[in-house]
Amino acid sequence: MIDEANKLFSNLTRRFGRQTVMIVGILLVIGVLVLPVIEFQRQAFWVRVIGFTGLYIILGLGLNIVVGFAGLLDLGYVAFYAIGAYTYGLLASGQFGIHLSFWLVLPLAALLAALAGVLLGIPVLRMRGDYLAIVTLGFGEIIRILLNNLRGFTNGSQGVVGIDKPVIFGYVLDSGIHFYYMIFILVAVVAFFSNRLNHSRIGRAWIAIREDEDVAEMMGINTTLYKLLAFGSGALVGGLAGAIFSAWQGSIFPDNFNLFVSINVLSLIIIGGIGSIPGVIVGALALITLPDVLRQFSDYRLLLYGLLLVIMMIARPEGFIPSQRRKLELREEDPQPVTD
Amino acid sequence: MEFDFTRFAEQLINGLTVGSFYALIALGYTMVYGVLTMINFAHGEIFMMGAYIGLFSLNRMVDAGLYERSPITAIILTFLAGMAGAALTGVTIERLAYRPLRRAARLAPLISAIGISIFLQEFVRILPAMGEQVMGLRIAGNPIFPPGWQEAVIGVLEDFGGVQVKTYPGIFTTDGFYLGEVYVTYSRVIILVISMLTMVGLWLLVKFSRLGKAMRAVSEDKDVAALMGINVNRVISQTFLIGSALAGLAGVMQGMFYLQIRNTMGFVPGIKAFTAAVLGGIGNIPGAMLGGYTLGLAEVIGIQFLPAIYKDVVAFGLLVLILIFKPTGILGEALTEKKM
Repeated sequence: MIDEANKLFSNLTRRFGRQTVMIVGILLVIGVLVLPVIEFQRQAFWVRVIGFTGLYIILGLGLNIVVGFAGLLDLGYVAFYAIGAYTYGLLASGQFGIHLSFWLVLPLAALLAALAGVLLGIPVLRMRGDYLAIVTLGFGEIIRILLNNLRGFTNGSQGVVGIDKPVIFGYVLDSGIHFYYMIFILVAVVAFFSNRLNHSRIGRAWIAIREDEDVAEMMGINTTLYKLLAFGSGALVGGLAGAIFSAWQGSIFPDNFNLFVSINVLSLIIIGGIGSIPGVIVGALALITLPDVLRQFSDYRLLLYGLLLVIMMIARPEGFIPSQRRKLELREEDPQPVTD
Repeated sequence: MEFDFTRFAEQLINGLTVGSFYALIALGYTMVYGVLTMINFAHGEIFMMGAYIGLFSLNRMVDAGLYERSPITAIILTFLAGMAGAALTGVTIERLAYRPLRRAARLAPLISAIGISIFLQEFVRILPAMGEQVMGLRIAGNPIFPPGWQEAVIGVLEDFGGVQVKTYPGIFTTDGFYLGEVYVTYSRVIILVISMLTMVGLWLLVKFSRLGKAMRAVSEDKDVAALMGINVNRVISQTFLIGSALAGLAGVMQGMFYLQIRNTMGFVPGIKAFTAAVLGGIGNIPGAMLGGYTLGLAEVIGIQFLPAIYKDVVAFGLLVLILIFKPTGILGEALTEKKM
């Protein structure tokens, strides 16, 4: 039995790489361990907390492609989440009386978000670092303001309510546990693809761009293409998460998509360890699950959150579980000494 | 929409008032960017702290009867207190949260600044609650602090911050004069004059004083500046001090003019002022002033053609357009790619 397992493990390792197997394994273990708690206790609170953690893991994995892999600092990631959520919300509710199937809209939402990602990517191709951060932040805010003000289309701050629940073979997925499963599966799928992407030719191109864009271009990498690919795939993941969010909640409001979501997602990948998939999971546990569980400190939640970001940057800028390459980059000191 | 000249002229004057706030805040961004090439994301919160500290001191002077006896002295002292408080905040932030990261990768100071920004907003909000908990501490059932203290401390803290919106006493009246058919309040003139004088003073300081020369040297090249015997750390601290004091001034004026202040008041002006700084050419001091007024005017002109709710969209849209087409801004030097 143990031999069999070992054999299976080494086969899988050879086939998919050690990291992938570990990640998928960890995910499965977490899922299996956590499930009974939910099943037995039937506590809406836990389903909600873990569901949200899962959603943020998905968002983190998506943004990680943009920030962690390609090194493009995006502070407006919430825009794609919003686009995904509103795509499903508007196409499957009484808002326009359209009731398309979830399974049809899910890919559509992802594609629309990816399109928005590429469209945002085109004008900012030449920007770097802080400038990119501010422009993307502006983009996220513009989307939120539009959602708030295009009343005829999005119903403004009243939000879109009465969003349909997904139906699978005539069975309505309407309880928290269904969404828990759905989110869990999506986390695994996104983690898997994200990991494969990172170790592909595309992933190596991203690393090259991140480390030195000019040199990457000299080496014949089409930086435009790969940057847009990063924006697009990151946005696609955000769109998926958004569609699931709106199906799960049943109602969405512009304020669900404020800047703080972007900051949360960025912070969790940085705290967890930028560029690293297990890091995203740890980051989400630290920044999303933990504050929710420690309810009695809810007054101090954000205060501590802000402090944690500062302390982390000073003490351990590479995060809890950094990718090795990123660790070296972030610990690297300025080659020219600055006199104190 | 019918064109109404009087209304338009009133809007232009409004644009100048708002532009003064943007310009004063933008100066802080630009100065810090000049010496550290980092965006001080928490600058909007320094502005907020200025407004809160100003109000707190003003209330003390009203209580002490100083405001009744000599309103001008009290107002000047309010400005000074707001500026000093903001300056202290700025210098402390630099010392604790940015200086340790000076050699770190560029992402680190940005995240640290976001952390500080969240921290300050929350700090102001929960300070009274925090005071109440600390004052209510008991050792073996006995309160640590005498009961009289408790009320005094909580009273002071509630006077300073808290969840609710705080209101400045009405200092600026609606008195004014007619300029042709356009009614101009004295308060707008005062704001414009104070801002202009301050900015001229700053410009003279940077252009002609020893400190100004040192600041320019540091923003040119920290290492060479250090070799020339300039105390780089001190110059950076002083830059934060001056930039933050300007934000504090804007904060107090904003409070006096719009009356209401809240803990989140720094975010939107912060982003707008950043836009203004970029518009004028980041790192360039006259540019920040020009950018502030340009943005203020652009917003009021923009809402002549668009519904007023799109004011923020105008600002963010402008930011994106500048960064795409003229990232160096109106007066900016040609930034090397490294600086971008």
